Amino acid sequence: MLVSWEWLSQYVYLKNTPDEIANRLSLSGLNHEETKTVDGDTVLDLEVTSNRADCLCHIGIAREIGVLTQQQLCLPEAKITTSGEDITKSWKLNVEAPTACPRYTGRIIRGVKVGPSPAWLVKRLAAIGCKSVNNIVDVTNYVMFELGQPLHAFDLRHVRGNQVVVRMAKEGEQLVAIDHKQYKLDPSMVVIADAQRALALGGIMGGADSEVSGSTVDLLIEAADFAPRVIRSTARALKLHSPSSFRFERRIDARQLDWASRRCCELIVQVAGGTIQNGLLDSATTAIEPPAPFAFRCSEIERVLGITIPITEVTRIIPALGCKLVDEGNGKYLITPPTWRADLTREIDMVEELARIYGYEQIPENVPVPMFSSAKRPKDVVLERVRGVMIATGLDEALTPSVVTQANDEMLSPWTDLAALSTDIALLEGATRLRRSLIPSLLTCRLHNQAQSARDADLFEVAQIYLPSAEGGLPLEQCTLGWVSGSNFNTTKGILESLLESVCGVQNWTFADWSNKLLEAGEGAKLQLNGETLGYVGTFSKSGRKELRLEGTCSFVEISVDGLLALARIVPTAKIISPYPAVVRDLNLVLDEACRWHQLSETVRAAGGELLKDLQYRETYRDANKDGEGKKRVLFSFALQSDDRTLTSQEADDCVKRIIQSCEQSLGGRLIAS
Amino acid sequence: MELNEFVHQLDELEKQAVGELSAIQDAAALEEVRIKYLGAKSGQFKNVQKSMGALAATDRPAGGKRFNEVKNAIQAAFDEAQNRASQQATKSTGPMADPTLPGARIRLGHVHPITQTIEHLKEIMGRLGFSVTEGPEVEDPWHNFVALNIPDDHPARDPLDNFYLKTAEKNSGVTRLLRSQTSTVQIRVMESRQPPVRIISLGRVYRPDEADATHFPMFHQMEGLWVDRGVTMAQLKSVLRLFATSYLGGDVNIRFRPSFFPFTEPSVEVDFWWAGRWIEFGGAGMVDPNVLNAVGYDPEVYTGFAFGLGVERLCMRRHQVTDIRDLYRNDVRFLRQF
Repeated sequence: MLVSWEWLSQYVYLKNTPDEIANRLSLSGLNHEETKTVDGDTVLDLEVTSNRADCLCHIGIAREIGVLTQQQLCLPEAKITTSGEDITKSWKLNVEAPTACPRYTGRIIRGVKVGPSPAWLVKRLAAIGCKSVNNIVDVTNYVMFELGQPLHAFDLRHVRGNQVVVRMAKEGEQLVAIDHKQYKLDPSMVVIADAQRALALGGIMGGADSEVSGSTVDLLIEAADFAPRVIRSTARALKLHSPSSFRFERRIDARQLDWASRRCCELIVQVAGGTIQNGLLDSATTAIEPPAPFAFRCSEIERVLGITIPITEVTRIIPALGCKLVDEGNGKYLITPPTWRADLTREIDMVEELARIYGYEQIPENVPVPMFSSAKRPKDVVLERVRGVMIATGLDEALTPSVVTQANDEMLSPWTDLAALSTDIALLEGATRLRRSLIPSLLTCRLHNQAQSARDADLFEVAQIYLPSAEGGLPLEQCTLGWVSGSNFNTTKGILESLLESVCGVQNWTFADWSNKLLEAGEGAKLQLNGETLGYVGTFSKSGRKELRLEGTCSFVEISVDGLLALARIVPTAKIISPYPAVVRDLNLVLDEACRWHQLSETVRAAGGELLKDLQYRETYRDANKDGEGKKRVLFSFALQSDDRTLTSQEADDCVKRIIQSCEQSLGGRLIAS
Repeated sequence: MELNEFVHQLDELEKQAVGELSAIQDAAALEEVRIKYLGAKSGQFKNVQKSMGALAATDRPAGGKRFNEVKNAIQAAFDEAQNRASQQATKSTGPMADPTLPGARIRLGHVHPITQTIEHLKEIMGRLGFSVTEGPEVEDPWHNFVALNIPDDHPARDPLDNFYLKTAEKNSGVTRLLRSQTSTVQIRVMESRQPPVRIISLGRVYRPDEADATHFPMFHQMEGLWVDRGVTMAQLKSVLRLFATSYLGGDVNIRFRPSFFPFTEPSVEVDFWWAGRWIEFGGAGMVDPNVLNAVGYDPEVYTGFAFGLGVERLCMRRHQVTDIRDLYRNDVRFLRQF
């Protein structure tokens, strides 16, 4: 909101410098953005919050300054002299859309002489960046910037049928506005029409047909109230924002309509001559109720602000803001706010008013604050460990948008086949799908880096994925860890296992086969615990990489952090380290190709019982000549150890024998003497 | 033994040893001379030392003094000879060690600067007694708007200012949207328990802004909330000052400028006085009685404050990032700086 210093001085005595005033206003709610000088006048640019529509005009700002500097206001009375027949005799007003237009008033001025505005008017408007059009239009703008009420002047000649109709637009109705652009209207928009056609887009812009021109003689002056929601949606739909729509969107003071109308007529007669016809077209049958009073307790000041404000200040500030103050004793008051302060309806609103006028600098910044316990959540502990493992492994953390393109969404979705949720409008270009996996986003980053010649972009991310529920409703938001890297399957799975061990300690998870069209055969696995899937690991196949345009080996892991959290070992506990020597043995077994390490290790563990510690896979090799086709040799080692005694060689040998027998019986394995 | 005889022996030893040492050029010769004079078993110096025991007790201080002088002189000559010998050695041919070569570094990853900022904020707020809470990113209008005192016709609810979901609406007739603020979590926490509540909520929020150097349609917020009996705006100012002092690492002053948010009243913008100027921090205020009512707290009994800030802005200022989009491009050349 641009404010002219000279203009302000018409309403309030400005005893301070513009800089001082700007600073005071900043600290009381009107943020000062900059100060300019236009044609010798000082112009302040003030930011007005959406609750303070009353400050979107010079009188509103003058009121604020009056309160802050303890000055009286001097406001124009808007006295008009009228003559002739009462206009309601020959003119009809019909408001068919009272929700969109709660109140409409019109006055008629006859015999004006349209021409250039006087210098003072041109200067006022120029100071705040408003171009002069002609004396009539300039006055309507001037009054809007003076007291916040948008006004419109119609050329009465073009209002046909002696009738003003306020109605919703018809489907497909067209209007050429005064910007000479054609707008296509719909029934959500309110128009001012005559007996035949729409003349103006209510509250936003007048029409070219009825605009004031050099040949205009008689005027219809509109002062009306339009519903903020209707104006806002219309302005947005038509991308047509005006100072008028800006004010209606923030609600105008409907109780000032008549004053604004008279003020406008008064000034028009002053600058363009003419006579104001008797009477007023008014859609309201009863006067608008005055603002409702509310109770105010002085004790609330201290309870909310933590300071007391002297009662003399309280009883000075509240009336200075335009409120009526009735003392009801015991620190209780009844307050009636002024019509222009629709934002003041409650006790707490008054506390805020007092705080900002008395000054927030009066509130101390070193009062005691009681202590409170707070601790890291288990999730924070887990994520700290997760990130620690990730960066130790050389992965960089990425943050990618939660909403992705259709192509990304469909690339890979290990967790669900249900269609992704989508947004009405795109987050970024084409991105409307709430992602079901982090991997496509991370691959996109890897590709971006690849294009920048950084082929080693190994990236991880911790974020929500959005898994739709079959019944509709809120999706399951699963906190998920994903990473992509240039490592092969074995290394990637190894990192995953190290991570699991670091976060969860040793748990009996398993890996099950998992395949996907983008993955190398046999290089995809599902991480499972007790039948539940916790995550996925895979390596892209050559054709998969070609499809994704990935250069070089690329693997990924995606794992549920929520799942990890449920298994996490937040506080590790110590186990006794056996002081007795361990017996370490290697075994080399010939097994069927189909026999997996998982089966072998389970068999060995079961047979070894509690003596078996530290089972290690060594290697697999094949010798078809010696063992025949379809066989492989698996070498592994293990340690046998007791927690309470030194094992005798007999005990150790018996245990090894049990293990070998078990492998022979249940897996058909055969020991190779070493 | 007479003192002067002892001193004479020392003089001779010094003359001989220093003389021989000064002529030495290589390590082998040095070692020979070292054994001859300084050998622990039968070096000449050791022998002279033994004879000190034969001095009269009154002569011993003077003898000892001279002994130390000679010892130091021989040691100095030895060090110098050793230096010469090792310099000689480096002049020889063959492979030579170079400890200035770079070590075999391991590749470490980097935590994203936004995460670093969030962890920093969590740590400071944790010390001030604020517990971390989280909530869903896909929200309903009650938590995102209604309970936060944002009525149906409020501009903040405009379809063009929010990411409303398509699917949810079609399937169930229920409106869902990506949350536009983390205040939603405060509502969820207050709905689920009674005061005192002292929490921060952190996470991603979504608003349809055109992406440019200072805007991105997805960003992170941190919001703090404290509701209890007798919580005041003076305490809000004091907590923010403690926060700012911890975050910026020096004594910071706080300034409130009046502002407007639907869910707080009074509402203020918060500035920090730091390094000779006011820095914008974020918004704050006392929890609006309507919000307390919405979650079933009696505003006559409880008061509370809330504050919120954009994590990106703090992060960018701290790490001198000039374009917010860099934070989400994930170019490794960018990420590896942190």
